Amino acid sequence: MKKDRNIKRRLITIYRLTLTGAVNVFRNAWLSLAAMAVMFVALSILLFSVALNITTSNAITGLSRNLKVSIYLQDDVSDDNRFSIESALASSEYVAELEYVSKDEARQRFTESFRDDEALLEGLFLVGSDSLPASYEVSATSLEDFDKVEEIALRTEFEESIESITLGRTDARKTIEQAASVQQYITAGSVFAVIIFTVISVLIIFNTIRIAIFTRSEEIKNMKLIGATPWYIRGPFLVEASIYGIIAGVLAVTAVYAIVYSVGPTLATQEEFRQSYEFITETSTMIMATAATIASGILVGALSSMLAMSKHLRLKHW
Amino acid sequence: MILLDRVTKTYAGNVTAIDKFSLHVEPDEFVIIIGSSGAGKSTLLKLLTREEKQTSGKIVIGNIDYDKLRDKEIPLLRRKIGVVFQDFKLLSNRNVFENVAFALEIVGHSNREIKETVPKVLRVVGLTGKEKRMPAALSGGERQRVAIARAIVRQPKILIADEPTGNLDPKHAWDIMRILEKINRFGTTVLLTTHNQEIVNKLKRRVVTIDDGRLTSDKTRGDYGS
Repeated sequence: MKKDRNIKRRLITIYRLTLTGAVNVFRNAWLSLAAMAVMFVALSILLFSVALNITTSNAITGLSRNLKVSIYLQDDVSDDNRFSIESALASSEYVAELEYVSKDEARQRFTESFRDDEALLEGLFLVGSDSLPASYEVSATSLEDFDKVEEIALRTEFEESIESITLGRTDARKTIEQAASVQQYITAGSVFAVIIFTVISVLIIFNTIRIAIFTRSEEIKNMKLIGATPWYIRGPFLVEASIYGIIAGVLAVTAVYAIVYSVGPTLATQEEFRQSYEFITETSTMIMATAATIASGILVGALSSMLAMSKHLRLKHW
Repeated sequence: MILLDRVTKTYAGNVTAIDKFSLHVEPDEFVIIIGSSGAGKSTLLKLLTREEKQTSGKIVIGNIDYDKLRDKEIPLLRRKIGVVFQDFKLLSNRNVFENVAFALEIVGHSNREIKETVPKVLRVVGLTGKEKRMPAALSGGERQRVAIARAIVRQPKILIADEPTGNLDPKHAWDIMRILEKINRFGTTVLLTTHNQEIVNKLKRRVVTIDDGRLTSDKTRGDYGS
């Protein structure tokens, strides 16, 4: 019975602290607004950069997979030699996909690709329909691994069997490498911006809570004298700062998803972006993103508030 | 029961505010502590509310030994002691009802309990009908009555009043004294510090005199300067 009463009183106390904290947000309306605005910017950048990173990483991986190393074989390569090349490639950790294209298949593909170019097809007929070499089409696990795949093909033991190696389309590779480099800059820039705006948020919330503590110093003193516990005094300040985090978090999620939904459908028409768009707009991802953003907001708010209280709220000496 | 045994309080710079002070107060007693300004009256009360910690000696209230009191237990101690200050210490942004209710809110009483209890206490101190007034709209005497209501609303065993009439005219000062006597009759131990000679002489209660931090006299039915 007494235990039930204690639980009931604790719940009532938590309710009152939450209510007081919420009222305090409106007491310092302008400072609260400034704190929430900066935190909104920080959280928006954080969430947006995560979405951007997912999209660019997926796009770069997709494009890299489409890029292939073509290893052309000599016309007189023996089956044993061909199989040893195949087994060396297949056992490599850098090879994602491996396909053997015979001379017949090469010719078919060529004919299919250039069926509208009669002059070219005529040229192929003149030099002989079996003039195209057999090859291995290899895709690497990542962009950086193309060189490793090439190293396998360049081994001296395969020198007699391989006619030439083409490392994908050079211009495409360069573009993908540039995209990867831009992605790294975007990530670094986002991290930097998130840190800067988080620090500004912490400082503004710290100051807001500090001012609130000074404004209510007399009230706090009275509360101590009539038996309020330290947590009863701290509670509203903690709730107030957490409310900043919740509101800023909700606004940041709304803003970022507004951008995703306005730009996303157009981007999603391209294969490289479709998968990312579907992932980002999945219900479970949206719930996770919302929860993580709000949690980050609460964390920043609560930590700033604790920092201000530890410095300015003298509760140690009763 | 309040027990102070050879209590000493020394501040930085070797300033002794209370010097080997011993006092024993029975439950239900009404004790007036008198002394000139700076004699150590307020420090003594601050030691009892644990706003200050004694340098040496022993303080026991009921079954609470202050030497064994941990920091986190101090709020619980203060909930058992009602305190009235000379400057009222009311919350200026709350009305009369809310100021009194605040003492119940911090210990988690429900709104229903608060609505039942506060009007009863306001009746005891004669403030019925003024529940919605803000402290700034009250006279000094009324503010002090709010402070008393807040101090007794949790029905403490001990009420400490630190010069509660210091800022009041004689009529209001007597109103406050009548209320304190009434509270004492209900079974609450009252410790009162005052400078008011007339009050001390008319109340005919136990009078403890303090001078330079030392107890200089303790009379069962004392008067000022006797």
